[in-house]
Amino acid sequence: MATKEKIKEVLVNLLKVKAEELKDGVALQESIGVDSTEMVESVIALEKAFGVKLSPKEITKSSSIDDIEKVLQSKFAK
Amino acid sequence: MAKIAITGIGIVSPSGIGKRQFWANIKAGRSFIKEITRFDASKYPSRIAGQIDELNKYSNISERLLKKIDAFSHMALIASELALKDGGIDIKDEDPNLVGIFLGNAIGGWLYAETELRDLYLEGREGVSPYMASAWFPAAPQGQVSIYYGIKGFSKTVVADRAGSLMALGYAAKVLNKNKLNMILGGGMEAPVTPYALLCCNTYGALSKNNTHPQEAYRPFDKKRDGCVIGEGAGIVVMEGIERANKRGAKPLAYISGYSATCDGVDRINCSGDGKELARAIKMALSEAKANVDEIDYISLDGLATDLWDDSEVKAIKTVFAGKLKDIPISCPKSMFGNLLGASGAVDMITTILAMEHALVPVTLNLDEPNIEGLNYVTREVKEHKINKALVISRGRGGINSVLVVEKGEN
Repeated sequence: MATKEKIKEVLVNLLKVKAEELKDGVALQESIGVDSTEMVESVIALEKAFGVKLSPKEITKSSSIDDIEKVLQSKFAK
Repeated sequence: MAKIAITGIGIVSPSGIGKRQFWANIKAGRSFIKEITRFDASKYPSRIAGQIDELNKYSNISERLLKKIDAFSHMALIASELALKDGGIDIKDEDPNLVGIFLGNAIGGWLYAETELRDLYLEGREGVSPYMASAWFPAAPQGQVSIYYGIKGFSKTVVADRAGSLMALGYAAKVLNKNKLNMILGGGMEAPVTPYALLCCNTYGALSKNNTHPQEAYRPFDKKRDGCVIGEGAGIVVMEGIERANKRGAKPLAYISGYSATCDGVDRINCSGDGKELARAIKMALSEAKANVDEIDYISLDGLATDLWDDSEVKAIKTVFAGKLKDIPISCPKSMFGNLLGASGAVDMITTILAMEHALVPVTLNLDEPNIEGLNYVTREVKEHKINKALVISRGRGGINSVLVVEKGEN
């Protein structure tokens, strides 16, 4: 599965939002009104799903799906 | 204290969700005490309770929110929605800075906490949901209701064991008297039917062990009583000043006209056996309501169904009402659905308001042979009786006494 699709799947299952609500280029805060606790949970879930270590500063409420993909790609490259 | 109008009722209880269903079951004198089926309670000394099944069926709460909150917040959200609807309030039309929330709770949200603590020990800190911190604590429902409706006014959660919600209503009435808020959602919620919470309630020692006959187990003031039975639910009402209620054309269902609270201060767990401090609280509440003892038409009793608590409660009302007591019907309707602990007082007040509306006094179940004779106990069948003014008593561990005077509304 492509990284972007997998990110969406993780967030949809975790936050119980609809896949179509998650827009690739829009900040999570804008698209699904994510709150800070949801962000903590999302970072942990993404770490588990992709087997990488993430800091809460790398993925924030202002991150879009595209931004998250970039952060993950950079981790894979290391 | 100026009287405060109650203009909307929201009830979530084992006897029903919504005031119609609740009253129909209360009026019929049905017991909703059953064996606990939510988890394996077979090794608990007391394994019966008043439970609410299918809470989701009555809820508009999204799955996204439900995963962040405990059952007691869920119950408070449903009760708030019902109260606002009953009161004809559209929260969007209110100034959010002038709306408050005053709720009572005793033990917090353990259904959520227990699962997360299990995960903490099994999986380490990353196994714990970040919502744990905001889901379990007693003020969580206040927070969730405020977020859901965008309420921003002065609000409080009162933790005072079983007396919490009646105290919250009393505080709310006093705050409205200061004219700094337009409206308050007042009441309480409790969800103690969980493995750990039930264990704690069992350790307290005031639960009935009559597991073989659940419907006969909770028998306040009866000679064969052996403790109360826990129940879960929420009771929340819309409270506002009379002038505002009239202005918006709302018919008050009832008024809160007096409130008082005292402490026995004799023991960490038990109340005092003489009922003196409870009697003082009753007198102060009556005085605040400018009501004489002969004006009270009904007393809703706390009724923990243990010798010490029941008998001291009877002593207190005897001290205050003396010879008049034989004319005042008294009952403990929670014997039908269980003791909702921190939510019990608010639910008792709601039952009292519905009793006033229908001019019927609900029964105390299983009160076959009173331990103290000579009182006007209502048992077996509802009693037709006009109630204009009533007293609601709610008490908590360590000897907390709270008393509310409620008066009939316009309908």
